[in-house]
Amino acid sequence: MKTKSLLCIAAALAVALLLVPVTAQQSRAAEPYNLGVALAITGTGALYCKDGVDAIKLAVDEINAKGGFLGKHPIKLFIRDTHTKPDAAVRATRDLITRDKVRTVLGTYSSATAVAIKPVCQEYKVLHIPAISNSEGITLTNFSPYTYQVVPNSYMQAKAVVLGVAALAKKKGWKKFVTIASDYEWGRSTQQNTVALLKQQAPEIKLVKEFWPPLGETQFTSYITAIMAQKPDFVIGSIASKDNVAWMKQAKAYGFFKKVPYPGSLISVIELILQAKTLDRGLVGLCRAPFFAHLDIPMMANFVTAFKKKYNRYPSDWAVMEYDAVYVLKQGIEKAKSIDTEKVKAALKGATVATTRGQLYFRKIDNQLSCSSYLGVVADDPKYPFPIYHDVVEVKGPDSWRPEKEIIAARAAEKKK
Amino acid sequence: MDLSLLFAQALSGLSRGMMLFLIASGLSLIFGVMNILNFAHATLWLVGAYACYTLWFLMQEHGFAVWVAIPLAALGVALVGWVIEVMLIRRVYARELPEQLLLTYALVLILGDLIKITWGVEDKLIARPAALAEPVFIAGVPIDSYFVFVIAVGFAVYFALWWFLNKTRYGHIVRAAVFSREMVSALGIPIPVIYTGVFVMGIFIAGLAGAIQGPVGSVTLGMDMAVVIQAFCVVIIGGFGSLPGTLVSSIIVGEVYAFAILFWPDGALALIFILTAIVLIVRPWGLFGTPMRA
Amino acid sequence: MSAKKLAWAGAVFAALLAMPLVLGEFWVLVLTEILILGLFAVSFNMIFGYMGQLSFGHAAFYGVGAYTTGLMMVKAGVPLGLCLPASMIMAGLVALVLGYFCIRLTGIYFAILTMAFGQLIFYIIFQWYGFTGGDNGLQGIRPPALLDGPWSYYYFTLLVVTAGVIVMWIISESPFGYTMRAIRDNPQRTRFVGVNTKKYMLINFVVAAMFAGLAGGLWGPFNRSLAPDLCNWHQSGVPVFMTIIGGPTGFLGPLIGSVIYTFLMAFVTGFTEYWPLTIGIVITLVVLFLPGGVWGLVERYGAALPAREGPPPEGEGGAS
Repeated sequence: MKTKSLLCIAAALAVALLLVPVTAQQSRAAEPYNLGVALAITGTGALYCKDGVDAIKLAVDEINAKGGFLGKHPIKLFIRDTHTKPDAAVRATRDLITRDKVRTVLGTYSSATAVAIKPVCQEYKVLHIPAISNSEGITLTNFSPYTYQVVPNSYMQAKAVVLGVAALAKKKGWKKFVTIASDYEWGRSTQQNTVALLKQQAPEIKLVKEFWPPLGETQFTSYITAIMAQKPDFVIGSIASKDNVAWMKQAKAYGFFKKVPYPGSLISVIELILQAKTLDRGLVGLCRAPFFAHLDIPMMANFVTAFKKKYNRYPSDWAVMEYDAVYVLKQGIEKAKSIDTEKVKAALKGATVATTRGQLYFRKIDNQLSCSSYLGVVADDPKYPFPIYHDVVEVKGPDSWRPEKEIIAARAAEKKK
Repeated sequence: MDLSLLFAQALSGLSRGMMLFLIASGLSLIFGVMNILNFAHATLWLVGAYACYTLWFLMQEHGFAVWVAIPLAALGVALVGWVIEVMLIRRVYARELPEQLLLTYALVLILGDLIKITWGVEDKLIARPAALAEPVFIAGVPIDSYFVFVIAVGFAVYFALWWFLNKTRYGHIVRAAVFSREMVSALGIPIPVIYTGVFVMGIFIAGLAGAIQGPVGSVTLGMDMAVVIQAFCVVIIGGFGSLPGTLVSSIIVGEVYAFAILFWPDGALALIFILTAIVLIVRPWGLFGTPMRA
Repeated sequence: MSAKKLAWAGAVFAALLAMPLVLGEFWVLVLTEILILGLFAVSFNMIFGYMGQLSFGHAAFYGVGAYTTGLMMVKAGVPLGLCLPASMIMAGLVALVLGYFCIRLTGIYFAILTMAFGQLIFYIIFQWYGFTGGDNGLQGIRPPALLDGPWSYYYFTLLVVTAGVIVMWIISESPFGYTMRAIRDNPQRTRFVGVNTKKYMLINFVVAAMFAGLAGGLWGPFNRSLAPDLCNWHQSGVPVFMTIIGGPTGFLGPLIGSVIYTFLMAFVTGFTEYWPLTIGIVITLVVLFLPGGVWGLVERYGAALPAREGPPPEGEGGAS
């Protein structure tokens, strides 16, 4: 019968389709080191992630030029798009692990995707280095021994801002403030930490109102007028990526920054570059890994030169941190003398590593790198075609991270639930 | 809270509303006449923003760059709209609603990736024209001067459309087609030509809106997704195919959003959906629509 | 059910039982996803194919089901076996409230109202940080030890999905199912015969939502975490895609669609980031050249195959 034969052919095709990739996988040699990257090639995070992916490629090329990890395991890169969505990120991660057999997953952009893929990596015993997203939730609760964080987390960044702001407030007599933060995991956790820490540091300063523009907001006019209506002494913002660009551009057009001080919001190197012409000089900004703060370290100087040579632009914070992530992995493997994930994981525990940001170490309790946060005043510099931070204040990791006592308490509370 | 601050909020709500109107008016026009709900409307709007960027980029040394880029981008998008109508939309006029919806949904996905292939993933920034860089003051209240321009364009589009639909022969034919395709085609007027014209016109307005959006913030992938649902809400509240309805509901949605931010920041977007649901339940044809189409 | 249909169903089931034995882990995960999304799509088609209305908010019920199971497992440690019925009930209750309004509308208005309600549910889950974890999502959902492996969870899913699909099949072949078809084809006449069409439509809406809730309940333990994205309008598009590809006129059409859609996605995302472009083109081609989907093709060429379900649903929003 015609239909039956048609169906048979279809079934045979389906089976063939299934089997081909399976057999292809089995014949793959074990020698190369499969490295997975789960980043947002599209969606809200694409702006930051492109730099990250480029830096990873650069690091991989450098290492492969010397034969790969341990000189004999060339790195094979597998890059997947998380679409900045947790579900898609989980799918991408499982895909990387079960199909491409990666041993480490680098990523991700949004904190919500990072916390979603963390348990998956743990389950499959695969290392996970989230080098862009920095919600404290990644390392604080539901702790995974396979996750190593090389970004100053949201608590550390908040603490750095608070130290800076408290000093400014004392000097200028500021009494009340409002917050504006993107309505998603990172915005929320950063805002909460900042408010709580500021209350400890300077209890006399009052929070008047909180604003939560949705992620992906393109028009901030109504927020700008509403904030001005509150007549705050200063505003704390936690808005990232393209939303931050839209917000700063529109706020400036309202003459906002001339009226209301806006200290300590995230102005990463990419914003400095993109808004070179329009950014108000004199703003006090915060960033995670500015290359210009560490040009005295040879590793950073070399990285910047190589990055500039390859891509004809300066690396952003996100590039610096993804680059560090690859080299942290390299050092872990060298210390373990093996690419076996369990051994690398054990070798990285509490390890001191050389990064572009200096000699840093992983804290044992949460695998958080002791990296710094950076505050500074936006100002022009003859060396660059864009403004950089002057009077950089580097708040060291160990001075800003959450005390171990509180981490233990948070985990105990989680267990009770 | 004093009056001038409320006034400032109202002004920002108005500018938000007019931005929505520019997107929603084309959507409403197309649905009203052709009975096709165009999911891809906001994606074409985004194409407009990207096109504006490219044109501006080519001419950026000149002060007039943005002013030339905006209308050219709108025309370019209209051309894309024409191609889409001829190649795809035309084939599904006789089809069921779900298939039409799905086709335009598929267009969202296709266009989205084509944008990515064409323009890459980096955000595009268009510098504001110098004339609109500083705030203006209305009764002592500051407003971003670019949004004064947006509001002006919004009203200009409204009056141009109103004039076209009410005062010209073609406008009369289009309006007649809203009520009875059979009657119009019985009069010997070719319906497909009207449809193509209306679709291209709607997409032109979308492209114009997108080009105007360009210099507001940065132009990025995925911007269309947040906007398309809000545009649907506007069209529903105002009534499909009703021009004044779309204007009024755009302003309502803009103002509701602006004041929700002031008094209940967490619920601003939810309020819009609740408003839409209430309108659908109580008056499915919208505030200004006519029930005969429901 | 005829012997022929039974034989076919048996063969498919046997294939589903046997396939994981020869497949690698990745493809077993894909198969599990196919089953869960297939159940979701079949439940959607109860509204679309059998009631003739396009729901663009069906993911809301999927999400409610997913969060019910997820929250009960994570916060209270309730066993999965109890969570799944709870998911069905919760999704059903939400559908009862929303459906009361939705079934009063038809065509485009039905589609948009379901979408607006769906977005509302999305925002509630998104904003309710204290309870749902907001967009941070809900982590740490692990199936019980017995099912905690790709293969065992696959067989569990197969069991639940098969049961769900059989129940929906029985409903669709019952007098109730035929009344729904009558309402779809001619609501006015059905009303005149003395059928309370609103009541029937509401019941159908609620039942469809319950099975979407069941599918959602299966998703959390499979995915290990939940995020509000699960119930926004993009996700609502997924069962629509599957149904259109597979064909809304056959009971199993949506399942076929799920197989094609999910396999294609697993296959395509392996070598390109342009998945949206691919699926967009597929949908366009299906809409333009293959109305009725794969099932429609099968029907046209194989009169010997089971179940002609009558004409495709009528759109009622049009003035034509």
